[in-house]
Amino acid sequence: MKFTTLDELRAWLNHLAQEHDLIAPRDVDGHVLYRPVASSGEILFDYERPELSTKDYFLPATEVLLRTERRGGDVTLEEVLPDRKQVLFGIRPCDAQGLTVLDALFLQQEPPDVYYRHHRERTTLVGLACPQMWEGCFCTSMGGAPDDPTHLDVLLTAVDGGYAVQVVTEKGAALLEGLALEEREGEPPPQSLPPQSWGGPRGGAPKPVPVTPPEKWRALFEDGLWQRHGERCLSCRICTYVCPTCRCFDVTDRVVEVRPGLTRIERIRAWDACTSTNYRRIAGGHNPRPTKPERLRNRFYCKFCYYPEDFGPLGCVGCGRCIVSCPVNIDIREVLRDVAERSGE
Amino acid sequence: MSTSEEITREIRAQARELLESGQVSCIIGYEVGSRGRARPAFVHDADDVERLIWGPDCVHNLTVYLHDFKKPRKRGEEPPHVAVVVKPCDSRAINVLLAEQQIERERVFIIGVACEGVQGRGDPSRSPNLAARCIRCGDRVPVVYDVLLGEPPEVPPAEDDYADLARIGEMPPAERLAFWLHQFDRCIRCYACRQVCPGCYCTTCMFERDDGLWVDIGIEVPQKYMFHLGRALHLAGRCAECNECERVCPMGLPLSLLNRRLAREVETLFGYRAGREVALSPLLFELGEEGSPI
Repeated sequence: MKFTTLDELRAWLNHLAQEHDLIAPRDVDGHVLYRPVASSGEILFDYERPELSTKDYFLPATEVLLRTERRGGDVTLEEVLPDRKQVLFGIRPCDAQGLTVLDALFLQQEPPDVYYRHHRERTTLVGLACPQMWEGCFCTSMGGAPDDPTHLDVLLTAVDGGYAVQVVTEKGAALLEGLALEEREGEPPPQSLPPQSWGGPRGGAPKPVPVTPPEKWRALFEDGLWQRHGERCLSCRICTYVCPTCRCFDVTDRVVEVRPGLTRIERIRAWDACTSTNYRRIAGGHNPRPTKPERLRNRFYCKFCYYPEDFGPLGCVGCGRCIVSCPVNIDIREVLRDVAERSGE
Repeated sequence: MSTSEEITREIRAQARELLESGQVSCIIGYEVGSRGRARPAFVHDADDVERLIWGPDCVHNLTVYLHDFKKPRKRGEEPPHVAVVVKPCDSRAINVLLAEQQIERERVFIIGVACEGVQGRGDPSRSPNLAARCIRCGDRVPVVYDVLLGEPPEVPPAEDDYADLARIGEMPPAERLAFWLHQFDRCIRCYACRQVCPGCYCTTCMFERDDGLWVDIGIEVPQKYMFHLGRALHLAGRCAECNECERVCPMGLPLSLLNRRLAREVETLFGYRAGREVALSPLLFELGEEGSPI
């Protein structure tokens, strides 16, 4: 297996940071977040699942799409795309799987989303395998695993004295050119262990979460379970904003500068959430999803019925962030178990 | 039998009576959640009252859900009668909502619980691991209730000296601004603070207008700064200090520092703390000389 030490890794990352936007897990006031770093000294190498996903670096919370400027009668239009290469170091396998889910819509549907595609193309994903599953984690029920290299360019796994390095793609191999690697005796650490061999948050293996096929969801649209789970929903946006696959956005033009003879306008897009009260309101003021249960139901139907039907993959990777961050304990695993039970799965 | 078990039993009995008699159509209380901790529960059927519990992890302020019961279920019907379980801090929000004519007293049955404080964020095995708001809270009994469950504990009432505000109060303005900008930078504009707040019930929040009159949809520091300061100002004299905004914030913003700064201001100026007593109208609506708290 290919092997490198932490010191070598740090030297390589310091070098990368000079020519790339380097994003890595960092301690931000006690919160573990993927954030830009200037050097390896800021990077956490031993960390749990970061509290927000990596989607911010592909579908930024706020992104300027274009700038227009009118001077007298002349209008100029400028497309805005960052030109630096980006490296996402320490991305967890579930977040990488989340990107594959987003690809199904943003890249594989015509026309592709040029902004998303641009970020995807400029980014190399260097993953760090999770040593265990944490509270809320259920990736093994959603087709992933704590050490799943599938959606990454490189996967590192902590081993005695350093890291085992798995090169997954050519893009990954190219990025690794500056990293000192040695060949070591022995096999790379096992991949995709069966779920039962992973420790859950309280020791034992996490209970598998059933996934009901999309066609069976249709029959449950009017089921009482949505009222039951949705009643306590606060209609905030935490679950959608921490989610690696929720991808709704809103677009607006904002005036940046106005003075005689000059108007400058920016078109931005920013995250939006189907759980929020006015998300579905339409021209004329009608809101077809006026209540919390209806909105919450949509979030789950999107993930397990509409998205797989329309674009292929499930809209959930089992990262568990929505579970641990919901202030009123709306638990996607509980919902999935209820759906399975109600549909006789 | 522990206090929690006894109160749990009493809540269930009360809930059964209210539902069976048809006095209310729903009990808003607590149940055990999927992660073994208490969560809000809505019991519509007397056969379901066994779900209800009481314990030190009943942290949520359930009065926010009263807004969901303001409108009739069907056109032409009356709005439903509901019962809600409240702690002293939660009950203050009821007084605020009554003063603002958001709820009708006769449609809400208030199950008050004598309170020793609820759990904080820290290690639950640490005892006592009280929430910060409970450490400075002197109220053992809700300010308004229809029935009181539990014995008011013999705890010396805490004196709220706003000690939590000292550190930030001592900062020079530039440092204080830097502190807040640093905090707001973490905010993800998820609006959980607003959604969990009983006092934030505008149909259209001014920070979420379609025309972006005050802030646009961007999730950037200027919009977040505007939102948090604006929300704090809109809650001045209205915030019941349940501190739910700070509890639910996924990014750990110290929002109590904003809300309590204004609570202190209002108390200093008007000798008034929102929700502590029944008010005929909200403090800042009092414009006349007579009856004005000023």
